[in-house]
Amino acid sequence: MRRVAIIGTGQTDYASNRSDASQPELVREAAKAAIADAGLRPQQIDAMLISNMELFEGRALPELWLGEAAFAAGKPCLKVATGGTSGTSACIAGFHQVASGLFDVVLVVGLEKHSEGQTQTGMALTDPFWDRAVAAGALGNFALSISQYMAARGVTERQAAMVAVKARRNAARNPHAHLKMPALTVDEVLGSRPLAHPVRLLDMCPQSDGACAIVIAAEEPARRLCPRPAWIKASATRHEQPYIGDIDRRLVTMRTLRDAARNAYARAGIRDPLHDFDVAEIYEPVSYAELAWYEALGFCGDGEAGRLIEDGVTTMDGELPVNPSGGVLSSNPVGASGVIRVAEAALQIHGRGGERQVDGVRTALATGYGVYAWADVVVLGAQP
Amino acid sequence: MIREGAIRIPFKYAAGRAGSRFLVALRDGMRIIASRCETCARVAVPLRTFCPACGGDDLAEVEVGPGGTILAWTETPDAGSYALVRLDGADTAFLHRLVAAPAGCRIGHRVRVRFASSRRASILDIDGFEPVTGEAR
Repeated sequence: MRRVAIIGTGQTDYASNRSDASQPELVREAAKAAIADAGLRPQQIDAMLISNMELFEGRALPELWLGEAAFAAGKPCLKVATGGTSGTSACIAGFHQVASGLFDVVLVVGLEKHSEGQTQTGMALTDPFWDRAVAAGALGNFALSISQYMAARGVTERQAAMVAVKARRNAARNPHAHLKMPALTVDEVLGSRPLAHPVRLLDMCPQSDGACAIVIAAEEPARRLCPRPAWIKASATRHEQPYIGDIDRRLVTMRTLRDAARNAYARAGIRDPLHDFDVAEIYEPVSYAELAWYEALGFCGDGEAGRLIEDGVTTMDGELPVNPSGGVLSSNPVGASGVIRVAEAALQIHGRGGERQVDGVRTALATGYGVYAWADVVVLGAQP
Repeated sequence: MIREGAIRIPFKYAAGRAGSRFLVALRDGMRIIASRCETCARVAVPLRTFCPACGGDDLAEVEVGPGGTILAWTETPDAGSYALVRLDGADTAFLHRLVAAPAGCRIGHRVRVRFASSRRASILDIDGFEPVTGEAR
């Protein structure tokens, strides 16, 4: 396996409605920015990977138009679609393409444009026999798992609300973020409209329009082009069983994320995640998920996630800042959200995080979460 | 410029061998059938063609429920309440609505399946889970 690094990132601004641009125009905006950030010209990219949610684009073969916008005409181009993990999965596919020696420079672009369609309907189009008539979609399924998680771990609604506040306050320092709420309070989250017990409106991620891209390169071009390449230390992905009743206490056990993390940490030499990582960008579609991920990712022991958020360990000034970007809770163009996690983690190592930069980042974590419990883990470092 | 459009795409989904047997047993006998894996012993409901836990395809057919225990629940302003219930005899949970459930119907409470009076080989041949009074685990 060859050494691989992320040498450029590019993001559009995220918003509830980017009616100023078509789907391909958003892709072009992110792709162009990432390629320029890497110090390259589009002709120097060997291959492209596109990530988006199935059915959300409202047209057949969206990769045709999105690929063209990503400079892929006449080049190898693939689409990766694994639900919420699409973006991280596409990044990991790109790492493998470069690590294997197949290509030297690969562009990954994720897109979603929620405002153009009925994406909740898209989410509800899962299994037609057992789920669709009863309860389907991301929110209801999450809410079910949350009741088990709260009962098992003693997490409170107030602790979850603290996660929601941290995300939106962090977002205020990210020029690309959708929900910037620098003055949001825990009481405002607890007072927001109930969606599915115990989840309230401000516990949930928004639906955003936008695109995000990264440039992945082999060692030689990475060292030549980038002053501080973000090296891929390890990555892992885990699939899961589709029927919600089959997964044993999903948020409590979260075996996919635990196993992916264990695997990636071992290969990257991460022994104490809370101390070894300088920053983390984790895929938290709902406030409660971030608490469950703290435990699954080994930031604390089981049952200690509530204390972690109460003690401020994961705020910008804490021992391990989690989601300086504002996370998925602040910007969620789904097909791009995983790419954003990886791009933001890389940005921290590049030292180009602007107002959301954490000092002296040398090791960074990015994760993806999708469908009923798929998980991706990516560990980045300032040294190969 | 914004162009409005809509797509209607009808489908005919096959329930498959296991799904069809499950739905016919539900419609004709008000029975909930599950598969017991002869390799790992896991009982999964609805009935399967292969074991979701170990992947084995040597399966026996067993009946589960109609009683069960609430493992997880939620309540929505629009779509009512629903729950994951471990039906008696099963190792996996079954997703359906909570009907006639008073406030306070929570994890660990006993429920039973209420079957629909008119049945058409669909998951809606079950109305949902209703509480069993005076029984708690």
